[in-house]
Amino acid sequence: MDKKLIKIVCFAGLRKYFGSETSVFVEDGASYSGVIDALKALNPEATEVLPSCRIAVNEAFVALNEPIKNENTIFLIPPSSGG
Amino acid sequence: MKHLQYTDLNYSELFDEFRNPNSGAVVLFSGEVRDNNKGREVTHLEYEAYEPMANKMIDEILLEAVSRFNLNQAVCVHRLGRVEISGCAVVVITGAGHRKEAYDANQFIIDKVKNEVPIWKHEFFTDGTSEWGQNCDCVIGTGEHEHDHHHEKAE
Repeated sequence: MDKKLIKIVCFAGLRKYFGSETSVFVEDGASYSGVIDALKALNPEATEVLPSCRIAVNEAFVALNEPIKNENTIFLIPPSSGG
Repeated sequence: MKHLQYTDLNYSELFDEFRNPNSGAVVLFSGEVRDNNKGREVTHLEYEAYEPMANKMIDEILLEAVSRFNLNQAVCVHRLGRVEISGCAVVVITGAGHRKEAYDANQFIIDKVKNEVPIWKHEFFTDGTSEWGQNCDCVIGTGEHEHDHHHEKAE
């Protein structure tokens, strides 16, 4: 099966694991949770943190079980802590 | 951006602009930087956001609050960058015909902004260490966590 490269932009405490940006390969037709799995494989130290993160695309959250559309860049959003 | 700024928040000015003859109640909440957190001395905070999304989400939260609580006006501005002790990190002002709507809407807005909007706090301590996202105020009303999340420590 073909794979595609997805760029992931990271914020706040996630930079400790992945820097400001990283990239992973996912299979065509994979869901966004496939990106989370690929990130766990990329840095197993982030395994505990990743389940609490959400993914945003085009400035909106997406469901992890949704298939990845045409986008090449996604935003990995750790739990909010503003205020 | 309309709801995010890197410079000091002057809530007095915002408040003064808030006069409306239909409003019998105006509530102002200012979230300020404490010099301590969980027994540790804090030197300052730094805020970061996924800016376009945070700005858009705050806009949507305000629109929802205006409609839900029948407000005349609502404003929310959050600081980004470094904020010193006693500095204002976030301000929410709500104006309504009566106080209940103004109070309830104000709390609704700040809770949503804290829990949902992609803004992150980095706390710096007097011992030279720092931590991300340790406010853990992710509770609404009942004291129950709205979500199960992990707070990440920085080096």
